[in-house]
Amino acid sequence: MSNLSMSNQTVVENWLKSQLAEQLSLDADSINVSEPLTRYGLDSIDAVTMVGDIEDVIDEELPSTLFWDYPTIAKSAQFLADNYDVSALGKTTSEPIEELEDTAIATATPAKTKSKGWGGLFGRGA
Amino acid sequence: MAQLKQYQVAEALEQDLGDPNLAESIMSFQKVMEIDEKETFPKAEIDWLYNWNLQDYYVPQNCGGKFTNFEEFVAIVRVLCRRDQTTGIAFTTLFWSFLCWMAGTPEQKAKLSKYIREEHGALCLGYSEKEHGSDLVNGDLTATKVPGGYLLNGEKWPINRATISGLSFVLARTGEKGEAKGLSLFTVYKQELAESEYYNLPKIYTHGIRGSDMSGIGFKNCFVPDSMLLLQEGDGLELGLKGFQITRTFCAAFSQGAADTALRTTLNFALQRVVYNKTVFDLPQPRKTLTDAFLDILICDCETIGAARGFSVVPQQFSVWAAVVKYFVTTQLESAINNVYPVLGSRFYMREEHDHGIFQKILRDNSIISMFDGSTVVNLHALILQFRQLTKQRRRRKPDTMAAIAERLVQIFSLENPAPNFEPEKLELFGRGADDPLQGLEIALNQLEELKKAPDVDQGMLSKLTDLGNLILEELDAHDNVIADSKFEFGHDQSPELFEIAKKYCNLHASACCLHMWIYNRKLLGEFFAKGEWLVLSIHRLLKTMGTLPYSISEEYSENVAQELVKLHQENKLYSIVPIQLAQSKNIKQEDNTNVKLINV
Repeated sequence: MSNLSMSNQTVVENWLKSQLAEQLSLDADSINVSEPLTRYGLDSIDAVTMVGDIEDVIDEELPSTLFWDYPTIAKSAQFLADNYDVSALGKTTSEPIEELEDTAIATATPAKTKSKGWGGLFGRGA
Repeated sequence: MAQLKQYQVAEALEQDLGDPNLAESIMSFQKVMEIDEKETFPKAEIDWLYNWNLQDYYVPQNCGGKFTNFEEFVAIVRVLCRRDQTTGIAFTTLFWSFLCWMAGTPEQKAKLSKYIREEHGALCLGYSEKEHGSDLVNGDLTATKVPGGYLLNGEKWPINRATISGLSFVLARTGEKGEAKGLSLFTVYKQELAESEYYNLPKIYTHGIRGSDMSGIGFKNCFVPDSMLLLQEGDGLELGLKGFQITRTFCAAFSQGAADTALRTTLNFALQRVVYNKTVFDLPQPRKTLTDAFLDILICDCETIGAARGFSVVPQQFSVWAAVVKYFVTTQLESAINNVYPVLGSRFYMREEHDHGIFQKILRDNSIISMFDGSTVVNLHALILQFRQLTKQRRRRKPDTMAAIAERLVQIFSLENPAPNFEPEKLELFGRGADDPLQGLEIALNQLEELKKAPDVDQGMLSKLTDLGNLILEELDAHDNVIADSKFEFGHDQSPELFEIAKKYCNLHASACCLHMWIYNRKLLGEFFAKGEWLVLSIHRLLKTMGTLPYSISEEYSENVAQELVKLHQENKLYSIVPIQLAQSKNIKQEDNTNVKLINV
């Protein structure tokens, strides 16, 4: 395994550790990369959901059973580092969800600009 | 109204089954009540359905059957379950065959097709275990590899049709406990097993669907050949979860059938019973109660039929859509049935009186639907885990995304064109946040704007509809803000509040489905549907649960919907956006005895 791949693997491992720590309320240092993810309370459906989180960051479609097939952080990180460009995982640890604003839709929809809220409805007689 | 080809089989089945009010009809109310009282399996009824070749509609065309897509399927199951959910469910365990249609080899498919169509074979699904419930990956039933096959050891319980079926789909552990890849799925044909190596567990006595073969199956060093394994060792959970997307969605059809009869039998009473010199139906409160139940059925129709067609267009989105339908339709119709029984009064509780006591049976039978194949909590939890993805996907939409959604919405919701053939291999474990009905909401709102120029649309109605549509959008935007600002957690410790948020999402989803359904079919489904008053009331009904909307949006609309309900009742048509003709009774001549004046407000 090349040095580059090794370092990429570490990038992925660190990203996964911080995700798990955040979303399972754990201390990142307590996570052992060689233990099965289920040991930390991540069930099979959670594991499928987490694939989506990585897809969002690296902008690639991944197998949805990734963490089933490679059920430890070490194994999944190696698979990802060997097969995908994972450099983006080194740049972000937070969810980008708050930053997304779909301006394309907001401006395209006339309805959205004239919100009346719950109270204003049906004022014109039903 | 146009004759829709996809409803013709259901209509033919309905006519051949005959009027359930007549004792001589197969699956008559009298007969299904007797079966329920005796708690015996409805063998004669099931045999009749096989002789009718209904099983062909559970086998895809490319496997020798007649199944093409789920819209037709939903209508068929509804016709069965309006008579009897016990029989409807017992027959429809055949829909687990989709596990094989999805993943089987050509040989496995051919064998199953022959078994179902020619041998009139039935099947069951062995997933759950007494000690582990829905915690599938920790099951105790194991499959140990031996030369040429596997040895099964363990029990599955409670399993519907475990005893009276020749084939069990069995989920067995081939790996370590807790491993997602530790499960494998087998198609176990009992006739190929040594009789000493398997056994059935006793009938479980239940609150409802009492004639069902609710039991279990056990294996003791039972040899099954490699040819019975579906896909590869370790693929069981993936296959099982995808299978749930299919069956969870179509549990909705069981509830729709039951809700029709619950409302119909109550209306039979309310239109005849005179109190205070009026029929019960002429009293404002019961009239509103029954009209609201009718709206619930129409709302659920839009969600269920939308999903049934959506399965062929966006199968990859069903990790979301199946959870929404299973939660929303089954609980909404459960509530609808609960809401109408005060109108029936104490008769709702009687086991012989009034239409053979069918109401109390429906109440008991139907209460299992929201529970099996994934309970309300399981489905809401599945949705919660996908909320971040849904919000992200919605916020990432670009004009080209919207153009693609717009194209798909036509395919999903326009009943004029048959839905494409269902391709089960396109199901995905998670849908990457895509949810066309809600993510295409702005498309619907733009279409409402366009309709301001349409001469055939009541502009007063459209104005109300537009206001309500904008409220759906506001609520959806607010939902996304909540999700974006909240901390996500894996596992099962999500807050109860998140479950309420998930219920609200389902309400918004149903509202959007109603809107799309009307937009794409307003020229197709008859005058009442086109007028859109039911739609205004329906969306108002859904949104009212989550905000301080006025109690009533239009007395006139409500009255018109009440009259449509009476009309469908008198014409003996299904309470539905596609009101197919029900089997006519020759003995009971329906009379037009309504004399309802429009209340003009």
